[in-house]
Amino acid sequence: MDLENAYDKIYRYVYFRIKDRATAEDITQEAFLRLISQKGDLHGYDIRYLYVIARNLCIDEYRRAKPDALPEDYEETAGGEEEALADRLAVREAVAELPPEDQELLLLRHVNGESMGTISNTLGISRFALYRRLKGAEAKLRRSLEGDKDEK
Amino acid sequence: MKNEWKGLLDEAFYAPEPERKRAFLKGLRPREIGMAEMLLTQVRYIGLSVWIVAGLILVLAILGSAMHADRTEEWIPVIIPFLAGVSVLETRKSGRCRMTELEMVTRFSLRSVLFARMTILGILCLLLLCVSAPIVAAAFGGRTVITAMHILIPYLVTTSISLAVERSAWGRKLEYASLAVAALISVLMIWMQSYDPAMVQRYADIIENWGLLIVLFLTAVTVWEQVRTIHFAEVPA
Amino acid sequence: MKLTVDRLSKQYKNKIAVDRVSFTLSEGVTGLLGANGAGKTTLMRMMTGILDPTGGEISADGVPVHTEQYRAILGYLPQDFGYYPEFTAREFVRYIAALKGLDKKHAKRKTEELLELVGLSDVADKKIKTFSGGMKQRVGIAQAIVNDPRILILDEPTAGLDPKERVRFRNLIAEIGKDTIVLFSTHIVSDIDSIAKSLLMMRDGQIIYDGAWSKEQGDLEQFYMEEFA
Repeated sequence: MDLENAYDKIYRYVYFRIKDRATAEDITQEAFLRLISQKGDLHGYDIRYLYVIARNLCIDEYRRAKPDALPEDYEETAGGEEEALADRLAVREAVAELPPEDQELLLLRHVNGESMGTISNTLGISRFALYRRLKGAEAKLRRSLEGDKDEK
Repeated sequence: MKNEWKGLLDEAFYAPEPERKRAFLKGLRPREIGMAEMLLTQVRYIGLSVWIVAGLILVLAILGSAMHADRTEEWIPVIIPFLAGVSVLETRKSGRCRMTELEMVTRFSLRSVLFARMTILGILCLLLLCVSAPIVAAAFGGRTVITAMHILIPYLVTTSISLAVERSAWGRKLEYASLAVAALISVLMIWMQSYDPAMVQRYADIIENWGLLIVLFLTAVTVWEQVRTIHFAEVPA
Repeated sequence: MKLTVDRLSKQYKNKIAVDRVSFTLSEGVTGLLGANGAGKTTLMRMMTGILDPTGGEISADGVPVHTEQYRAILGYLPQDFGYYPEFTAREFVRYIAALKGLDKKHAKRKTEELLELVGLSDVADKKIKTFSGGMKQRVGIAQAIVNDPRILILDEPTAGLDPKERVRFRNLIAEIGKDTIVLFSTHIVSDIDSIAKSLLMMRDGQIIYDGAWSKEQGDLEQFYMEEFA
């Protein structure tokens, strides 16, 4: 496991869910530390272990921050300061319109480049269910983008 | 299909640069074992001589008891000083084998190693006692506690004297000082048993009446010597 | 990381072995050059915590030398060391690895990796008592770096090595020095020329040169002769 690459991916994933840089880094680092304390060292371990730990930590973080929130709630995509400053690309808008579960799939698959196996492991769903949901998300996104194009 | 999306979504999932990545990854170290685990790893490095002597005593106790061999009760206290002797030698082998410096600079430094060895050897002795004393007592009609004290006392005496001697100036020059001490105590035991029956009886009486106090006292002395040995080990030349 | 030695002294009854020495080391290879009796070994032994100074302090990024934390990132190869009889090369490195706190799996993996690195894989199961001086030295290196130390202190590591082994050793140290603080003492000038990026020169317990060194600065051999002859 390339540690630097893994750190970037996990951080990106956690930031997607937590939307706070400091907390996201804390959780990322905590995930690494927990894996080490469980397994001894990181050598020979796949990133999926880190994803699972990070995901659980994110859920814990919600419970901690918003005790009434359901565990699968995501932070509203109101965007941090950085995002507000950046150009609002069509893709960005289109993605933002998708439900958070779909966003998560797209992030893991097409930004982090994870395998179906890793993703299904992380989310705890079967590969078949994953395939369906991913295709559904991609379809929605495609329609949204083509719809935009039509409008222009 | 993948190519359609590749790169396209990176902007959508933009995340600000992590600030502490470098420092964190550089400082990341694998899990380290705790004291208990380290103790366990040291068991396999305990030398053969200890196991042989311990095994010998165990076999003697069991066979002697099973066959009701006459002098079993007397032989064990004569041999046990050697278990103490090789145990002390084993504890202090770092110096003899010139491994002291290498062991001083590790995370579990020399003191921990000594402590680990002493603990393991102490437990070994205790186990041996718990097995052999009841067996011998049962076979020869004695009381387990008294039998145990007869075995333990020469062990503790040998251990504490050996530890003190090994630390002394002339003890450091003599490579196997502990064995010399063990031989001395062993001979002393033999002499006491064969020289004068009245002395044997008096010794047995003392142990009957004062045994517990003697054992407690000797244990305290032994522990004291062990503590001093551990401290002494790290005083650099 | 910064390894700071601050006004370090070691005084014996009738001799000052190390005399108010101060310097700072960072990643890279530093050579410690000096004649026998200059105080190199005494200095190094204080830097590893084996010897207590009579004055001054040593710390790594603020962590003092007499702590478990410091030892955890330390690797040391003394001038002379022994081994438990019957130990094989593999057993020796595993033994030290355990004392350095590595867990079983990690220790096993690192041991194999390092035996390979120092070229002792073939004889890993042979007893050290059958080894030549150079082979034993290689075992020494392996045990010194088994915990991925951030500070590596080597006392006369090339003494007794044949030329081929010396080259091999230098390459190894140069490699390790890329992200580790390495201090090695020697009285073989060519060791310094080939791998050290900076140099400490010691005489009578004092540092008489502390700075970068490259071939352009002149003939080290000559400088050495002038200073020590």
